[in-house]
Amino acid sequence: MKKNKVLLIGWDSADWKIIDKLMAEGKMPAIKGLISEGVRGKIATLDPPLSPMLWTSMATGVRPFKHGVSGFVEHDGNGGIRPVSSYSRKVKAIWNMLTIEGYKSNIIGWWPSNPVENINGCMVSNLYHQEKKGGESLDVNDWPVEEGMVYPSELADKIKDLRVHPLEISLNLISPFVPDVVKLGKQEDNNLMVISKYLAHATTVHATATELMETTEWDFTAVYHDALDHFSHAYMKYHPPLRDHIDKDEYELYKDVVEGAYIYHDMMLERMLSMIDKDTTVIIVSDHGFHSDHLRPVTIPQVPSGPAVEHSPYGIFVAKGPQIKKGEQIFGASILDLTPTLLSIMDLPVGKDMDGKPLIDIFNFDKQINYIDSWENIDKFGGDFVIPDHQAEVNNEAALQQLVDLGYIDDLSLEKSDKADQIKGIIKENNFYIAKSLASANFNDEALEILLEIEDKAKPDYRILTDIINCSVKTNRFALAEEYIRFVRQSNIILDTYIDLWDAKVQIGQNNPIEGIELLNKALSANPDTIEMLLDLGKVYNAIHYKDEAIDCFNRVLKIDHENAYAYYGRGIAFLRSGEYNLAVEEFLNAIDRLYHFPVAHLHLGETLALMKEYEAAIDTLELVRTMIPRVPKIYRWLLDLYEIVGNEAKIQEYQQIVEKSQLGTKIIISGLPGGKLEEAFDFLEKNNVNIGSSRELFSTQKVNISDQHWVSQLKGDINYVPIQYFASLNALHSYRFLYIKDTIEEVMKFWNKQQRIKEATFNPDSFETFKKTEERTMTWFSQQPNIDIYYINETEKLLDFI
Amino acid sequence: MKNKETKSIVLKGKNYKIPPGGTLGLLALGNIGVRAWKESREKYIADNKQKEDEKK
Repeated sequence: MKKNKVLLIGWDSADWKIIDKLMAEGKMPAIKGLISEGVRGKIATLDPPLSPMLWTSMATGVRPFKHGVSGFVEHDGNGGIRPVSSYSRKVKAIWNMLTIEGYKSNIIGWWPSNPVENINGCMVSNLYHQEKKGGESLDVNDWPVEEGMVYPSELADKIKDLRVHPLEISLNLISPFVPDVVKLGKQEDNNLMVISKYLAHATTVHATATELMETTEWDFTAVYHDALDHFSHAYMKYHPPLRDHIDKDEYELYKDVVEGAYIYHDMMLERMLSMIDKDTTVIIVSDHGFHSDHLRPVTIPQVPSGPAVEHSPYGIFVAKGPQIKKGEQIFGASILDLTPTLLSIMDLPVGKDMDGKPLIDIFNFDKQINYIDSWENIDKFGGDFVIPDHQAEVNNEAALQQLVDLGYIDDLSLEKSDKADQIKGIIKENNFYIAKSLASANFNDEALEILLEIEDKAKPDYRILTDIINCSVKTNRFALAEEYIRFVRQSNIILDTYIDLWDAKVQIGQNNPIEGIELLNKALSANPDTIEMLLDLGKVYNAIHYKDEAIDCFNRVLKIDHENAYAYYGRGIAFLRSGEYNLAVEEFLNAIDRLYHFPVAHLHLGETLALMKEYEAAIDTLELVRTMIPRVPKIYRWLLDLYEIVGNEAKIQEYQQIVEKSQLGTKIIISGLPGGKLEEAFDFLEKNNVNIGSSRELFSTQKVNISDQHWVSQLKGDINYVPIQYFASLNALHSYRFLYIKDTIEEVMKFWNKQQRIKEATFNPDSFETFKKTEERTMTWFSQQPNIDIYYINETEKLLDFI
Repeated sequence: MKNKETKSIVLKGKNYKIPPGGTLGLLALGNIGVRAWKESREKYIADNKQKEDEKK
């Protein structure tokens, strides 16, 4: 059977904002031609946006906490430190899968790929083009290819002369990047040495890739370029327009460097495209974007991987080939989708255990996707590491130095400092990245476990403390969050503004919205135009159903950034909560227009359409959400409900099975306004020996203010009392039967007056309003949940009929 | 190095000049461009050396 050939080109940090401008000016004709004959789209990155982790996710289809690559450097097992290596990868990469299937691959420069693997084909590692020993440059004529860098090893002799040393780069080669280069001597300006180095590295990778494409039989060639990322970190600050804090003379000298780098990549692309036939599929992809406009940070945090703040969350995706649509945009791609998509193009099965999905929208026909449980279960040869006889220290040091120069890791000063401490620090840093990776996939409990283990109050790290507080809030562990908030307030390592912001979230989570709002307003008054805080404040107002205040916050965001999708989404939520469904739909569509990969906006759009009885449109929307976030049980419940309404038997069966498989069973929740009827219900159940899992004391404490709501998502018993304000924290994997004890607000108020020894007939209009609003919100919430059945109980004696 | 042109290569109908100092277009040709540039540079250096030797 004929194999489908693929050329994959990785451009680290390539960003549409720059490419679109250059294409419009006719300066990137190769990619422009490719796009006109294929598809283009944004591709979402992962958190943390650190390249070795991202490119390994792209080559494996799984998140970093599964594939094991967790930072820029690692412990070498011999008391030393080395750049992150392929040894760290715990799962098969695309080239291993292709070797198993008998496909021939050329892999050039992938990060990390040192040492290389003896795959079916050729592999050249990401350390191959390094030319330095520590800080010293090696001589052009004495520049060895170390073991473990090239497979097969005999290939090294054929390709080594294609390497370009930075010292070989003449001034006329730099002039397209720095037109006034003649004003500066190459040796006099470190910037010119830096440009020489990045240009030499890119050229070496490209010359090697073209040589292998021309001289070997291949089914898959993958070439990775880090140069755009490096050029951007060094020179994006000089990219037009000139900003106030940038030196004008330096700006004039270096303002063309980034543009030059993009143009050079397009020129290299043109050559590669000239080497393939029309049956070869070409894919260009980046792992994240790079801020090039007013969103560029003015300062870079002085912490490991601090420069990652310059990265933007969306990279580029372009595909062209015989199976690919022409001239269309695709939406909703994630970097996790690359390997599943490559496998699909090559008619190979996708692992069900992969976190990504095949991008089926790129195909110009109804592509059938095959699945297997896991590529990890296939016990066939896919390539082993080519382990060098000795450690290639020359290139390790060079690569480490480059990471120091880029600001990704601290200056290790290998000779001077205590290596054991350095290694501990690196293990801690890598564990921090794994925790971030877990948290970004909503595994907040697991992330928190790691963060608490690595946190050291004697050496406080604001990044770890920040994530501990965030994960604690997300998992409703408010007592823990408060403990760390107290600590950061005392230790004075984080701005008060941010602490107030977290404190506000804790107060709100603990049902103290007024205190929360006060704290948010305090934080906001110190930074009145801070988008992040305005969005948070709006979210809080939404959470407590203060529609007008919420909309005001989102309007303020839109005044600063008219394209802010989260502000439109927030307005949509405000309208959804108030039952203004038409307006909600409009706002969710506004959000999606600006940010298509926004699953929760699609989800709420689908829910709103369902509430408007626009069932077919709701189904279409929620089916799309299912492809974006396939592991959210709520979507399947909604779809099951909707297919039942429209009477689609095949789909009912399909989703019934999924829901049954994923759900953890049904729980009974007893709740209602906290009045005499509810107390009567508790007494009745106790008398009839019905055990209530969560304590009714929650009710009898009169003021429900629980420091840790984590229990709400982990209810133990089958029958529980949950105060109405905590319904949103219930675990979505259960179905719920709500027994809602009906009581009138007047009776509830009388009950509370009695409890508080106030004259029973006293009428407090504020309390009345609060109870009324609480009940209205509860009814709205009930109407928006697909996984609950509600029974309104007027007579306590009938409770047993429902248990 | 003085950017003196010595020869050219033709690829898919396009003519690429090969000055000994190289050009970005030449480098972007990858394997064939780098090889041609290095050969041109070596020849330039050898020619210059020969001229110097002859002068002596």
